[in-house]
Amino acid sequence: MSTKASSAKPGFLGAILGSLATLYDKRWLIKYMAQQQWANSYQGSHLGLAWAFLSPLMMVALLTFVFSEVIGIRFREVTGDSALNFGLYLYCGLLPFLAYSKALTQGVNVIRRNSSLVQGVVFPLEILPMTTVISSLIENLFGVGALMFLLVVLEGRLHLTVLLLPLIIVPQLLFTLGLSYLMAVAGTYVPDVRETLKAVVRATFFITPILWPTGKVPEDWRFLVDYNPLAFLVESYRSLILEGELPGAEAAIYFSLFAVALFVVGLVVFNRLKHTFADLL
Amino acid sequence: MPAVSVKGVSKKYRIFPNGGARLKEALSFGRKKYGHDFWALQDINLELEPGTNLGVLGRNGAGKSTLLNIIAGIRPPTSGTVEVNGRLVALSGLGAGFNSEFTGRENIMLNGLILGIERKELLERFDDITAFADIGEFIDQPIKTYSSGMRSRLGFAVAFNVQPDVLILDETLAAGDTVSKEAALQKMYELRDSGTTILLVSHGMSTIEDFCTEAILLHEGRMLAAGGTTEVIERYQDLVSRFKKDKNRRRTDGRQPPDVVVSEEEVPEVPTFKEDPDFERRVARLRSGTGEARIQGVELLNERLRPVKAVTSGSTVTIRVYLEYLETVKDSEVIITLRDKAEQGQTESQTGSQFFGPNLGYVLELYEGYREKPESVDEQTREFFETWSPPRLETNGHAPAVAGKLFSTSTALEGIPLEEMQKGERVVVDFTFKVPLRQGRYSISAGARAGSEDSYLDRVDVAITFRIKRPRDRKPFQGIVHLPTEIKVHTSEGERQGRSV
Repeated sequence: MSTKASSAKPGFLGAILGSLATLYDKRWLIKYMAQQQWANSYQGSHLGLAWAFLSPLMMVALLTFVFSEVIGIRFREVTGDSALNFGLYLYCGLLPFLAYSKALTQGVNVIRRNSSLVQGVVFPLEILPMTTVISSLIENLFGVGALMFLLVVLEGRLHLTVLLLPLIIVPQLLFTLGLSYLMAVAGTYVPDVRETLKAVVRATFFITPILWPTGKVPEDWRFLVDYNPLAFLVESYRSLILEGELPGAEAAIYFSLFAVALFVVGLVVFNRLKHTFADLL
Repeated sequence: MPAVSVKGVSKKYRIFPNGGARLKEALSFGRKKYGHDFWALQDINLELEPGTNLGVLGRNGAGKSTLLNIIAGIRPPTSGTVEVNGRLVALSGLGAGFNSEFTGRENIMLNGLILGIERKELLERFDDITAFADIGEFIDQPIKTYSSGMRSRLGFAVAFNVQPDVLILDETLAAGDTVSKEAALQKMYELRDSGTTILLVSHGMSTIEDFCTEAILLHEGRMLAAGGTTEVIERYQDLVSRFKKDKNRRRTDGRQPPDVVVSEEEVPEVPTFKEDPDFERRVARLRSGTGEARIQGVELLNERLRPVKAVTSGSTVTIRVYLEYLETVKDSEVIITLRDKAEQGQTESQTGSQFFGPNLGYVLELYEGYREKPESVDEQTREFFETWSPPRLETNGHAPAVAGKLFSTSTALEGIPLEEMQKGERVVVDFTFKVPLRQGRYSISAGARAGSEDSYLDRVDVAITFRIKRPRDRKPFQGIVHLPTEIKVHTSEGERQGRSV
């Protein structure tokens, strides 16, 4: 085995394949680290991992109670499906958004937070954003589980379309990964990006149809929904979980292509610059 | 194929007065400069054959860590190439990724994977690792319950039990208690003997000297010296003592010293008289004499007349004695005595230096006098010597030697008379001679004696101790002294000649 640190750069395709091989090679490390990060927040509490399920359950229960019983907003009454309330509707839209916002805000910090690994050992750095994304995805899945549990309790049934969720979650993973890689680079080079990003994440919350339904957008502002990848995720989650409908195939394909491209660009940019990180901290 | 090959490596850091300046420079796309360059390393070349143990020496900020980081692949060099053949483990990452909430078992896996070890291999070596870490049933407890020693043992255990081909150690031996340090050291020796290439940064000179076969000295990013540990350590100690001197000067006269440049700048020909309060305190118990004169300091100087603690066997040393006359003395001489000392690891009898401590030399001198003329010592001492025998020192299979006087000389003996000295007069006396002696610890006693009398004006037993080291690429010789030898081999075909240095 021979390692060489020189300025020789492989071709674009070679770089991608090389990084993918590294990621596969280090799958155990990714697993351990993602597990560690994810389990870290529950370590030391008496209920332990049960919290992974309990806390989203409490969240969705709270939303349901506040919006349906206290404020009394019932979106879905139009379609005659009275049990489907705004709390569930809101939570379902929140799920992909929370995964996105967590992956981004953690990703932008990930190099600085792990400075001991960056400066102390020879470490495949492309793993770090991956672990944050995966751990936020696991949380996301538990959230989905809690939502489905409540749906069964409240409505007594589940749409079969939830089985198609992985088709959305895989491109979602690539999408968040790509963003995460780019943010990690940006946040390492310019620390100010971290603060800026908080505002950006907050803004995306409001320009994404989470609080408001897509049908109520004025024609001039349709692009907020049409060209917003997060809007696609939110809508797809809702269609598959709440409505039992399929999201538009065309949109799904565009989103998937966009996600793959973002992932590749993010990974390549990250890999080109990761050697410089140790000097920047 | 070398294990590590470093070719023309330089490392430049860009230093900015503040974070904003970095951003401004980046945004100007090279049109404006707000920072300046700092060269942490310049043109380092290094080739290590497998099995080499390299000590890396240098003051703080000399570039040691940067070099090791570049070799480890953590930082990229600005120019030049680094090639490492085999598995490299850098112990600056000792315990990297440890999480207090997780069990020892989980942390072993995590740390191992972070160090780049395959999961399969980790599982195979798991028992070795836990055995070395020696933490028993704690292995399934979260490591927040561990003591710091247990933690560092766990870190060592992972790094050492994966058979690295190249191991980089950076001051990591500082952690842990004596027992775990011992275990770690032993493992280090094992790895060394099994052919692992080791790069070691330590400020402990003795660790480097014992452990390493070669050393390099870095100073301000440049490689100042490379070669045998003894020579390089000597250069390093030179460097350090020069800096210390510089600092002292700054402290005493308050003036800014000139920028220190590393060149062969010579020490002034005429030495200035020094009073050393440390010396005063240290030798208080070892002093005897009438007090008409006072030895204010004794120094060991190397060939370049710099104070050192160790010299190479066969080199020229100068013993410098600072003497102040407290009374007017008509005619006097300055005497020095060289003794060898019991070295650690050699056996000593209870009556040896363990018992007398630093006074052993004096006791031995008394004993010599007693052997020659029993009535020269007082009755009590005589009784004691009747049943006492001087400690015999075993020296690693060589002939046992008696710790004692090896060599003594004086100004009078060498034919340099000291005329009448006024009260308050100060003299500096240099004794320069070669030391073709076996490696080991030695001590120097110094004294001043009035010419006509036997009693000392002042004498200090064990005024300094120092070490004589074996020169590189020479085997240890048998016996105490290596006399300069000329060899002629007469054969039928003619003569071959050789001469020892």
